[in-house]
Amino acid sequence: MGFYAVQSLNALSFSMLLLLTGLGLSVVLNLMNFVNLTHGSFFLLGAYVGVYWLASGAPWWLAFPVAFVAAGLAGFLLERFPFRQFYARTHLMQVLLTYGLSVIFADLMRWGFGAQILSPEIPEALRGVVFIMDMPFPIYRLFIIGFGAALAFALWFVIDRTIWGAVVRACVTDRGFVETLGLDTRRIFTAVLVISAGLGGISGALGAGILSAYPGLDEEVLILALIVVVAGGLGTFRGTVLSALLLGFAMTFSKVWVPEFSNVVALAIMAALLVALPEGLVAKKVRQV
Amino acid sequence: MTERFPLSRRDFIASAGAAALTSAIAAPALAQSANKPLKIGMVTSLSGPFTALGESMRAGMQMFLAENGGKLAGRAVELIVEDDQAKPDEGVRKFRKLLGQDNVDIVSGVISSAVALAVRDVVTEAKALTFISAGSANDLARKAASPFVFRPTKTNWMLGHTAGLWAYEKLGKTGCMTIGADYAAGREYIGDFVATYQQQGGKVGKQLWAPLGTTDFGPLLTTIAAEKPEFIYSFFAGSDAVRFLRQMREYRLSGKVKLIGGGALFDQEDVVSAVKEAALGGLNTCNQSPTAPSSAAFTKAYQAARNVMPGEMGTAGYVTGQVIKAAVERVQGDLSNKEKVKEALLAREVETVFGPMPFDPRNNQAILDIYVNEIKEGAGGVPVNQVIHTYKAVRDPGPVA
Repeated sequence: MGFYAVQSLNALSFSMLLLLTGLGLSVVLNLMNFVNLTHGSFFLLGAYVGVYWLASGAPWWLAFPVAFVAAGLAGFLLERFPFRQFYARTHLMQVLLTYGLSVIFADLMRWGFGAQILSPEIPEALRGVVFIMDMPFPIYRLFIIGFGAALAFALWFVIDRTIWGAVVRACVTDRGFVETLGLDTRRIFTAVLVISAGLGGISGALGAGILSAYPGLDEEVLILALIVVVAGGLGTFRGTVLSALLLGFAMTFSKVWVPEFSNVVALAIMAALLVALPEGLVAKKVRQV
Repeated sequence: MTERFPLSRRDFIASAGAAALTSAIAAPALAQSANKPLKIGMVTSLSGPFTALGESMRAGMQMFLAENGGKLAGRAVELIVEDDQAKPDEGVRKFRKLLGQDNVDIVSGVISSAVALAVRDVVTEAKALTFISAGSANDLARKAASPFVFRPTKTNWMLGHTAGLWAYEKLGKTGCMTIGADYAAGREYIGDFVATYQQQGGKVGKQLWAPLGTTDFGPLLTTIAAEKPEFIYSFFAGSDAVRFLRQMREYRLSGKVKLIGGGALFDQEDVVSAVKEAALGGLNTCNQSPTAPSSAAFTKAYQAARNVMPGEMGTAGYVTGQVIKAAVERVQGDLSNKEKVKEALLAREVETVFGPMPFDPRNNQAILDIYVNEIKEGAGGVPVNQVIHTYKAVRDPGPVA
């Protein structure tokens, strides 16, 4: 009983990491129809910033906002050039551009932060464990679950329930129309990209506590995030949440029951899902006139 | 009587003069080939999953050459380093380039066993003097051994086997679990450990496998917590090892369950310096230890140069240099006769930072001292691999006759 309770918490904490990473990617893909493969680089940048911040002795909780700001700033600069020039181009061109950039960033970060594996000093307050029916579970993972849930909820609220979100969604549907209302859509897109990059950074800083930071993490994370976004269905927020939970639970429980085949089983589930529901878990209702 | 001296005095002088002349012409030519720079090619991983290890290996080799003033046996050394990205096809390409285009005298390096296996035919065909610094798949010393491929490093068996002996003797006859990275090296380490441990009479419980690049060990660690083993034998390397050890501690298993592993699990530079206290109390068997007596001077120099204690790869780069030096010096810098080089190298052991290193004439595999290291607090509270036992002269079973 305790065993399965803790395994479910394991799954939940991993799902949260997947969700946070996937959200940043899906926001840009859904709202701006832009494929951003540099998202893994934002994650890794955030992870490094988190590691250095936590080692510096400054208040630990600031590490996460700082990682958000650092990655957001990188996103801001990149949006100015060259992302902006590629919004109107085909997905293939966007993939070529952003994948190329991610390779460059991987090299730059290896040069700047070194090739060794860095692990953050987890703050004293989060270092303990709780015992759930005699089974240990780290507090840091509970923190990730809580923080991730709060962040995801906030994002959903902003996009789905506020006027700001409505404007962004309107931009995607008909950019020209929004312009006629006197809104600068270029600025709106900049803001969305900055938030997406910042989300990548903050999830990196959070995730580093479990995953550490090292060259190559960017790609590993990007692939997981892509699976989450694609399996969840493009253009839906609920879909991303659902597919992050599904992938997290599938990866965790396949490790519990069939550790040798855990990747195969988890990815087979996601593949089967895509075959059965090619639009993703939650398909956007498209009305065509 | 004059018939007894077919050479007249005049003839004698003429021929002696000619001989002197030819030798005068020939001698500089000979000297020149000995003074030509000695080209050493090194293929290591400077991008991809083994980047940090590759950089350490290169640094070790460069340190060695710098200490020798850039000269071996009087010949200036030119080191050409290439990156294999830990990919076999890339490795083959780089070896071909070094041998075909740069015309190096010696090739060396290689971290990934897959690369080492892939380049085996290339170097064998070219009859190139090859020193594999780290690739350690058992087959490299068995089926894939090759006349001019020297292996100044361990095989996976040497570490798995000695861990099996130690575990049975010191850790317990039952209550053993294993958890390993699910790829060729992980399977070999765990397999060789289990074989030896069972041969001794030990009983192995549940065996877990995690895919290479596992991010979240939580589910597996919860399984371990539920099984409550006495000790675990484990093999992970690089970032997997860092994550595994850190998460072991997060789940409060570090103190409770004794952990013994292959050297890479507690590599001093790559892993222990990253996980710090989470490594304390861990055991490993390894052909390298920063606290081995043979490593004392090197450990100090490496620490001064790189601000971290050396792990296996930094040491391997240095040791490769030491072995190459021994080979080159024993033939006075003349590598033209490769059989002679081989004979000279196999003739007697080389003193290296790993320890005394004789080579097995069957497969050119180093016979090594294997250290049992325990991670203890060293000077300044830094966790360090401390030697607690040495298995002398461990020799791979080699090619099955």
